[in-house]
Amino acid sequence: MNKKLKPLVGCVIMALAGTSQADINVGVTLSATGPAASLGIPEKNTFALMPTSIGGQKINYIVLDDASDTTSAVKNTRKLITENQVDVVVGSTITPNSLAMIDVAAEAETPMISMAASARIVDMANPKVKWVFKTPQNDVQMSTAIVEHMLNNKIQTVAFIGFSDAYGEGWYQEFAKIAEARKLKIVANERYNRADTSVTGQALKIISTKPDAVLVAGSGTPAALPQKTLKEKGYKGAFYQTHGVANMDFLRVCGKDCEGTFLPAGPVLVAGQLPDSNPIKKVAMDYTTKYEAAHGKGTTSTFGAHAWDAGILLQNAIPVALKKAQPGSKEFRAALRDALEGLKNVTVSHGIVNMSAQDHLGFDQRARVMVEIKDGGWKLVQ
Amino acid sequence: MDLQIALLLAQDGVVNGAIYALLALALVLVFAVTRVIFIPQGEFVAFGALTLASFQTAKVPGTLWLLIGMGAVISIIELAAASRRRGGRRRLTLALGWNLAYPAVLAAIVLLAKPGQWPLAVQVVLAMALVVPLGPMIYRLVYQPLASASVLVLLIVSVAVHLALVGLGLLFFGAEGSRTPAFSEASFSLGDVTVTGQTLWVIGASLLLIVGLYIFFERSLWGKALRATAINRVGAQLMGISTTQAGKLCFLLAAAIGAMSGILVAPITTIYYDTGFLVGLKGFVAAIVGGMISYPLAAAGAILVGLLESFSSFWASAFKEVIVFTMIIPVLLWRSMTTRHVEEEEE
Amino acid sequence: MLLALLAIGPLVLPEFYVTLLNYIGLYALVALGLVLLTGVGGLTSFGQAAFVGLGAYTTGYLTTAEELPAVLSWFAVSPWLTLVAGLLVTLAVAGVLGLLTLRLSGHYLPLGTLAWGMSLYFLFGNVSFLGGHTGMTGIPPLSLFGFELRDGRHLYYLIWLILLAAVWMTQNLLDSREGRAIRALKGGGIMAEAMGVDTARSRMIIFLVAAAFAAISGWLYAHMQRFVNPTPFSLHIGIEYLFMAVIGGAGYVWGALVGAGLITVLKQWLQDLLPRVFGASGNFEIIVFGLLMIFVFHRARDGIWPLLARAVPIKRPARAVPTGEPLARRERPPPGTTLLEVKDAVKKFGGLVANNKMSLEVRAGEILALIGPNGAGKSTLFNLVTGVDPPTSGEVSFLGERVDGCCSREIARRGMSRTFQHVRLLPAMSVLENVAIGAHQRGSAGVAAAAVHGERGEEARLLAEAARQIERVGLTEYMFDAAGSLALGQQRIVEIARALSSDPSLLLLDEPAAGLRYLEKETLADLLRKLRDEGMGILLVEHDMDFVMGLADRVVVMEFGEKIAEGLPEQVQCNPAVIEAYLGGVD
Repeated sequence: MNKKLKPLVGCVIMALAGTSQADINVGVTLSATGPAASLGIPEKNTFALMPTSIGGQKINYIVLDDASDTTSAVKNTRKLITENQVDVVVGSTITPNSLAMIDVAAEAETPMISMAASARIVDMANPKVKWVFKTPQNDVQMSTAIVEHMLNNKIQTVAFIGFSDAYGEGWYQEFAKIAEARKLKIVANERYNRADTSVTGQALKIISTKPDAVLVAGSGTPAALPQKTLKEKGYKGAFYQTHGVANMDFLRVCGKDCEGTFLPAGPVLVAGQLPDSNPIKKVAMDYTTKYEAAHGKGTTSTFGAHAWDAGILLQNAIPVALKKAQPGSKEFRAALRDALEGLKNVTVSHGIVNMSAQDHLGFDQRARVMVEIKDGGWKLVQ
Repeated sequence: MDLQIALLLAQDGVVNGAIYALLALALVLVFAVTRVIFIPQGEFVAFGALTLASFQTAKVPGTLWLLIGMGAVISIIELAAASRRRGGRRRLTLALGWNLAYPAVLAAIVLLAKPGQWPLAVQVVLAMALVVPLGPMIYRLVYQPLASASVLVLLIVSVAVHLALVGLGLLFFGAEGSRTPAFSEASFSLGDVTVTGQTLWVIGASLLLIVGLYIFFERSLWGKALRATAINRVGAQLMGISTTQAGKLCFLLAAAIGAMSGILVAPITTIYYDTGFLVGLKGFVAAIVGGMISYPLAAAGAILVGLLESFSSFWASAFKEVIVFTMIIPVLLWRSMTTRHVEEEEE
Repeated sequence: MLLALLAIGPLVLPEFYVTLLNYIGLYALVALGLVLLTGVGGLTSFGQAAFVGLGAYTTGYLTTAEELPAVLSWFAVSPWLTLVAGLLVTLAVAGVLGLLTLRLSGHYLPLGTLAWGMSLYFLFGNVSFLGGHTGMTGIPPLSLFGFELRDGRHLYYLIWLILLAAVWMTQNLLDSREGRAIRALKGGGIMAEAMGVDTARSRMIIFLVAAAFAAISGWLYAHMQRFVNPTPFSLHIGIEYLFMAVIGGAGYVWGALVGAGLITVLKQWLQDLLPRVFGASGNFEIIVFGLLMIFVFHRARDGIWPLLARAVPIKRPARAVPTGEPLARRERPPPGTTLLEVKDAVKKFGGLVANNKMSLEVRAGEILALIGPNGAGKSTLFNLVTGVDPPTSGEVSFLGERVDGCCSREIARRGMSRTFQHVRLLPAMSVLENVAIGAHQRGSAGVAAAAVHGERGEEARLLAEAARQIERVGLTEYMFDAAGSLALGQQRIVEIARALSSDPSLLLLDEPAAGLRYLEKETLADLLRKLRDEGMGILLVEHDMDFVMGLADRVVVMEFGEKIAEGLPEQVQCNPAVIEAYLGGVD
């Protein structure tokens, strides 16, 4: 029966990998492989660019991959908390993973900063969310921007096509809610898989309902397929995408079929086009410069910027917390949580954060802009 | 739904079905000869398409490094084996030629020239030249030492190969997808329905490949040898047909079919590092409908899967996979009832 | 000792190792089901993750839904009741799926499991009251007598208690009458049916047991994670469970634990180690993991457990010849009664007529030999009589009742037992266990009794009966050897012992003397004579003329599917048609 020893042997090996206690440990779990890899990889790259000391304290980033799987995300979180004794957990990339992590973080009284979109993650009705913060704009905020833009452009009917996963689902729920309130009619609600090779069926269904506009809720290059198929099948109406597509690869794959598409995004996407008076510009340009220096021109994505923003929040909150307690202690984690909740007027690459006990996101209207795809690039809509 | 939509859906289903059919044929071939359920078949689709796409974005495709790496490992193994026994110098030279010299030549071409500027046809040939030898190399490294293992173990090993290849795909090509330019920009109108040149390419090339395979199996000596191995492994061995050679050959064919499929569809859809699994799975479904033995039935199954998919994505796209896979069960029941099951062959 | 180690583990281990052990326990429970289903029963399933999902979603829904239909509301009282609900749901779904897909043969079965595995996964994701793709939050922790099992260390004891109980029950089940039937499924289906085993039922049993294990794992998972969404129940994870079972050693109960442990620990270890080797930017875990797995299979294709078991020799229990009260015997028909009657039996395979208007009769207390050149249709007739193939036309009666078109299991139940021309033993099982399969229909204890070993009395009697028959055919010294290690001639004798332990009135022997030496043939002939004198009827297909002529009371000769002669041995030997058939035309 010596197989029971096996895990123990593994554990001993793992024990050799322990980390030192005096520094501040930031635990990160993100989806660098699996279906959400295109979001997780830039996030992972971003952590490598982050400052290695804050407030005179050395910071250790322990970055783990959860393969876009909730079980692994929770396992990672438990590991980070119990094994690496982290002072804060950052992650995960996608909504289900983040939701699953809330319980673990709250029970260990460790603050957590999610990089996923859904408003449910920081829904204050759940008392555990006291420990949870997030950096990406809520779906609601982005949906409102799209609905407003549609109404301003005299669009009355819209067809929705999204990923058949939490991303597409979250978008549909929020978008449908706001559209209904604003009397915008949704005439079709279609789903497709990220790796599908054909969406002809969905495209024909959408065309048969003759919508004024189509909203595609997908992330990265897979969001190009419905739009290309619709164009090919002769659809002439307007196109909207979500901020999930905001990377250069999407433009490369979608090419001329995406000209004239509108999408809401964080200001970081069009940092260079922001007026100099906008405080976000400097922060966003700083990130873009650093990232592109490391990974090449045109490689920045808004997802990496969510990670960067989590870093900025920590850089502002940690010095406050350090005044109250020593890193590695329960008191420090509580102080860090309080400090995060108390952040006011912190400029991040996606907007300006004003946290409160009721709002653990802290963004306002400045956190989103409408962007048009023009000449193969992102153009800020004034 | 009117006639025009039905026709368009049918066209879409047939095009996808054609790709599934190719993969199904490759899966049937590999299984019949080696008893391996070749789950990584789909990875060749992605590797073929993404290697071609890499040329066009002036990047060095990671598959080149994989080819060189695997060639080097095989060379070491062959050298070690040769040092243990006398003779066989010709065999060794041949092995080293294919596993060291050939990748080196390709590396020189890819690294020194700029393949992105060459005509598309030449790029396609070069991409195939890079990806296809990976098939027999995988056979040599992974499956040859396991030739006598049970079907279940071979299946699980295939899963392991699949995992490793998907991981490599992510490393080589990144998480984002790619498209390649169409072979032909032409499009034709048939009544209300527009048919693009590329869809004709896909269907035409699939048919050609299928006919080609038929001729290969019916007419050529190698094809007959493969068939003999498929029917009776021991018997074929007694007749001087080497199981190893047969295995390498069918992995070569499978890799070629996979890579070609990928290159054919890359202009009409976006290919990702992990596209292969789902496409391969549909091919697998079709292959099983064909009982893992019959080529024409596998092809028919593939078209069926393609059509089911395109019509269900029109009717209820959120439940597409549910519909496709639920509809498969009655087909399976019917096939299961009508085929005589020989228990002794199961392991 | 190891149990003690397991018990104090959580007290001394750092918390994360306890967490890991919890996950290992959950995975091992599912893998254990797969060991039973795939490793032992030979039914490959890709869909176990979906059953885990059913268990998890049932409890998730019942414990979090704000308003439940009245019928369901009493389940929501406690998570322990939702376990019952989860098991009920899973067993119901598995029952339906099993009815549909277990009929599938060969490669259709794995694809069938793949099909419903995919379907259930997408259903979880598209049903809004199950939280859709985003998932369900707020599942409460388990509690025991008012004590909340919130801490991983507490949950640990529950998980491992359940797992060890499941291992114990699985081992018990496999070491029982039902278990032997299950172990015969892989590669011995026709034989098992001929011994009266309902193989369809056995398949269903292991399918349901595996599904139940998966559902329990899912229930624990939901209350440990306190969140469910579809991704942990996808096809990929289903394949990973299969992976665990096979790498651990698919045929071995402990292999499930080894496999689950190895994969979980290895993944953690790679996650820690690789960034140190390759730097933090790449994602090499999955590549290295895949390569390592291939390497492991190259070194140990039967999985890890057999290697471990060899390295640590486990003391085998002393092997005493089993004893027990004799089993009840069936009433013997008086000598001379017609046992078997075949009338005008015709069997066609397409255009080929394998049997044409064959008629014969076997009475109690006689040995009838069926002889004929190769290809005369003797084995086809054998298959018609024993219900393996139905006749195209004609009648087969046993003890006055029509049995043509009956399945072989039913025929076996009525007291006809057979051996096979191509030996059908389970080579890895001991001679004793092989012979005990013959006595299958003389026992009645069910799965539940077997799982807790509540049927030891009956089991002892079955094994004792098997031991008696082994002794009777003179193979006592090989009783505990693997059947596959015996010489072919001896294996044929084991088949006879197996047939005898079903207490038949009619014994059908297909070439029993092939491969025997002279003295062994003599012994066999003596045994058969003795059986005849006890009133048994024996139908013998044989090539060995000397053997037949010295033994048989009557002889039937076949050629080209037809009967060409019948009578006493000496009459038949002089029959010109027979001489011509055997020696070719003599002009």
